[in-house]
Amino acid sequence: MIQKISAPISLVLVYDHTARKLIPKKLKWEGKTHDIIHVDLHHIYRQGRTLQHVFSVASNTMFFRITMDTSNLQWTLEEISDGLPD
Amino acid sequence: MDCLTNLPFNKKPPTKIHVDLNSCFASIEQQANRHLRNKPVAVAAYNSPNGCILAASYEAKALGIKTGTRVQDGMVLCPGLIVMSPDAAKYKYIHSRFRQLFSTYSHKVTPKSIDEFIIDLEGCPSYKRGMHTVALEMRKRIKDEIGDSLRVNIGIATNNFLAKTAASLHKPEGMDEINEVNHIEIFKSLNLKDLCGIDKGNASRLNSSGIFSVLDLYEASSDKLKRAFRSIMGHHWFYKMRGWEVEDIEFDRKSYGNSYALPLPLSTVDELAPLLTKLTQKAGQRLRKAGYKCQGIYIAISYRDFDYWHVSVTTEKALFDSRDIYKELYRLLCHSPSKKPVRTLAISCFNLSPYDIKQGELFEDIDEKAKLVEAIDGINERWGNFVLTPGRMIGTEQLMPERIPFGASKEIEEFHNSEDELRYESVEV
Repeated sequence: MIQKISAPISLVLVYDHTARKLIPKKLKWEGKTHDIIHVDLHHIYRQGRTLQHVFSVASNTMFFRITMDTSNLQWTLEEISDGLPD
Repeated sequence: MDCLTNLPFNKKPPTKIHVDLNSCFASIEQQANRHLRNKPVAVAAYNSPNGCILAASYEAKALGIKTGTRVQDGMVLCPGLIVMSPDAAKYKYIHSRFRQLFSTYSHKVTPKSIDEFIIDLEGCPSYKRGMHTVALEMRKRIKDEIGDSLRVNIGIATNNFLAKTAASLHKPEGMDEINEVNHIEIFKSLNLKDLCGIDKGNASRLNSSGIFSVLDLYEASSDKLKRAFRSIMGHHWFYKMRGWEVEDIEFDRKSYGNSYALPLPLSTVDELAPLLTKLTQKAGQRLRKAGYKCQGIYIAISYRDFDYWHVSVTTEKALFDSRDIYKELYRLLCHSPSKKPVRTLAISCFNLSPYDIKQGELFEDIDEKAKLVEAIDGINERWGNFVLTPGRMIGTEQLMPERIPFGASKEIEEFHNSEDELRYESVEV
């Protein structure tokens, strides 16, 4: 099931300057911490002039679409999915 | 006698690589969400029973779900089908990454659609490494640098058409070359309708001229093909089948248009006016951004009973303000003969001329109007589309999401320009 969410979240991230890689490692939402095992896609788009970074990440059982608004550096959880049909 | 009966197959070594991302939208969704991989996934224009499926994953295709299948029919074929809404920004971004990657091999990279590219290596240093070596490296880099679950078909030939044909021979992840040596054998293995551009109608025309196979098509003279296709297209087919290029022609932009397939069966002018406003705003903004004004407008309506009505007019003065374009379109809409439930509403602006040449008006201050339009466009560009809109658009906020054009290279070019600035800001993950 795919569920649209719009919730602020806390994250643990690693930035590797040699590879210029930003890697989300842990995600805390509604009091629960999820280990991020895979970062499968990172894309960007503009909302007006504001650049949005979208990370499609997965724990062992869940998918999370998380975005970073570069105008205020706020992270938002936009979507979750367990990969099962509705 | 037809002097083009015995033109030989192009003997030049192939320099063109066609790359085609399989099941594009569905593959990208499976790349983003690994929990969808190896499952039947469909990306549909609308996640409603009548929604049209735009792309099906391999797993869904294996169950008979194709592009164009209705969601409700897809659910019958596969009750566990996972139906997703399209994410235009994501697909554009992947397209842009493909383009960037291919640009490291050649300066002649031509997008043929959102999921297809032609890379011409002629005269490029990478050509010396061998076409197959380069093609395989491209495939590996796509997996390493863009997405490990993305699969591409690759075709190699002397022209765009045969490169595309080669890419379709073995799916998924095939790589084939059509050349002077193997073309007859490959043509023998294909049906007419396997060729891009030969639909039921063209196949029927060819059949009536005694052409029943791809080999017949290849062996037919230019004159015979012109008669069969009843146009200059026959002449083009004569060259295409022999590996000569006829598609490297750039056409000027002739029009800017937008269309919308209505999820609800609206029928009155009052009901359609907000949608017409939004379509006009979209097309008008694109028109001005590209530096044009127009002196012709077109509106088309297809009804739910498959009836169709359309009309175009040339306007007295050149239009650039969406409000003026809307007024003309609204006038046409009011004259539509039927007030039946509408399936698709489409508009277009044509007779384009450069925006910067403004002819003065006796009763209107054009400069003032232009400044206002530029200011509105500037605000919308700064804060996002439709932050400032006509009041008539109220209620359409959730309607008409951004769509990805299929096979329309002019529209693809439009978003290349907007993506160019993004590439330098990307952080790798």
